[in-house]
Amino acid sequence: MRTLEYLFGAPELRATFWPPVVVGLLVAALSSALSVPVVLKRMAFVGQGVSHAAFGGVGVALALGLVVGAAAHGTGLLAVVTLFCIAAALGIAWLSDRPGARTDTAIGIVLAGSMAVGFLLIRAAAGRMRATGLPPPPSVESILFGSVLNVGPGDAVLAAVVAAGVLAVLWWYRRPLLFWAFDEGASPAFGVPSRAMRSLLLIVLALAIVVTMRLAGVVLATALLVLPGAAALELSDRLRPVYAIAMAVGILGVAVGLVLSFEMNWQPGPSIVLALTAMFAAARASSSLRSRPAPPQERPA
Amino acid sequence: MSEPAPNATPAIDYVGVGFAYPRPVAGGDGGTVEALRDITLRVEPGERLGILGPNGAGKTTLMRITLGLLPCQRGTVRIFGRTPEQARRERLIGYVPQRSDAELAFPISVRQAVELGPAGRLTGFARLSPDDRRRVEESMSLLGIADLADRPVGKLSGGQFQRTLIARALAVGARVLLLDEPTVGIDVTGQRRFAELLSGLRDRLGVTIVVVSHDLRTIAAASDRVACLSRTLHSHVAPEGLTPAVLAEVFRHDVEGVFGEVHVDAHPAADCDDPAHHHHHHDHAKGGGGA
Repeated sequence: MRTLEYLFGAPELRATFWPPVVVGLLVAALSSALSVPVVLKRMAFVGQGVSHAAFGGVGVALALGLVVGAAAHGTGLLAVVTLFCIAAALGIAWLSDRPGARTDTAIGIVLAGSMAVGFLLIRAAAGRMRATGLPPPPSVESILFGSVLNVGPGDAVLAAVVAAGVLAVLWWYRRPLLFWAFDEGASPAFGVPSRAMRSLLLIVLALAIVVTMRLAGVVLATALLVLPGAAALELSDRLRPVYAIAMAVGILGVAVGLVLSFEMNWQPGPSIVLALTAMFAAARASSSLRSRPAPPQERPA
Repeated sequence: MSEPAPNATPAIDYVGVGFAYPRPVAGGDGGTVEALRDITLRVEPGERLGILGPNGAGKTTLMRITLGLLPCQRGTVRIFGRTPEQARRERLIGYVPQRSDAELAFPISVRQAVELGPAGRLTGFARLSPDDRRRVEESMSLLGIADLADRPVGKLSGGQFQRTLIARALAVGARVLLLDEPTVGIDVTGQRRFAELLSGLRDRLGVTIVVVSHDLRTIAAASDRVACLSRTLHSHVAPEGLTPAVLAEVFRHDVEGVFGEVHVDAHPAADCDDPAHHHHHHDHAKGGGGA
């Protein structure tokens, strides 16, 4: 078992492998809690758009870094990517808020545009950095699919702060968020500002993606924001069990994924997504096996 | 709850209400599109008023103004003497949306859905007051859904789901119930039972009931008095007064169809705005006193 060796063996191994485990579990708790409203509000694709925007954000940060220096690494890079993701999330919300707007079109444009800008800027910056003898930027592949080696103790602290902050915000606004998710159309009439609730959810979504992406990659960060909630909603139609199951699925999925990643020497992003997908499939299968012979009463048109 | 009394403060008092939207023209000032003009109407406490009008007649605009979600550009609206914004803060109006608007397969129970009425705006450590808790239970009993309190809303029938939404509106302690297209897709028997349900609520709580719909049967069954809206008010009469001539003003086309078996689709307001058919206003306002 390489996992045991990595986590309980030599000090330098522990220093390398504990941070991704801590980040993974924190991110799992955070994303699982978010995945319930994301799935219920059908915002999975919005999450895709925001996470791909992070790729564009990395490109912009690296390009800026050539000018400013600090932006290419560490906190500077994260700050730029965070701003980029929040801007993308609010941009999508703004584009889809206008009458007759098509949300999927807005997301498709943001997603493809960010990928194109990100890829070209990262390539250009990498070339310049090599030429000037600066330390090279992270590889495109590790940005897309994540890497254990991306994640250090600083990331663990950041993930803890963000997870605590976001979970506190979700708890504080749990009732307006629930009302809005259940019945957006009626929410303003009951004193629940629907636009503010949507923006709030999008901003915390962007933050969750930023702390997830170093470990799981921008392409796969959204899997954590969809699969736990989707699996939980297959298994229960009650609020507290749904949240509890989503948390359990997310944390177990990340744990199994990381073990797979350590044992097989796979990248953590695909390993985690594989574990979560298998758990969703199991949940789906078990709910169709239990499927009641009489479906819930028909609603008239 | 207030008793119906002829000279009491009106439940809702619209005086000369008008509203116009900016015309959607790319990048330019396209002027405005008038949605409502000179609406004057007094709704008495404990009354069941139906507002009948085709799609695009301004029903949604009038509801949004009443709920304090759109500013009243011309004229005034008072709800028990308060502005719509004050009324919203004091939870005087309970809003019942169209059933299709709410998420059906949502993992909450009937009681949780009803509690969201008073609890939706609470944040952090705030808790439901004992009064609110009592009203949640009372509303469920009144609507006959107390025995379904722990059932997930996804497992309710259409009628049960709608009663849940009405209970949610009553649970805020509302003195006016505002129902948007309440019987879309319900059969005639269901509509009659629904009308009896509303009468029962009025009798038990003294609550004022405003039903907004394009469906003549809904309005006729559930109202003591009908206001016909097509941008402006055409008449307001007892349901028996909904003669073909009156309806012809509102639904300009196919009046026979309204009374036959054929379901008449609502017509765009633009069709009702044909200058060739300019008509005289009936005297709208009973009171019309300022606020």
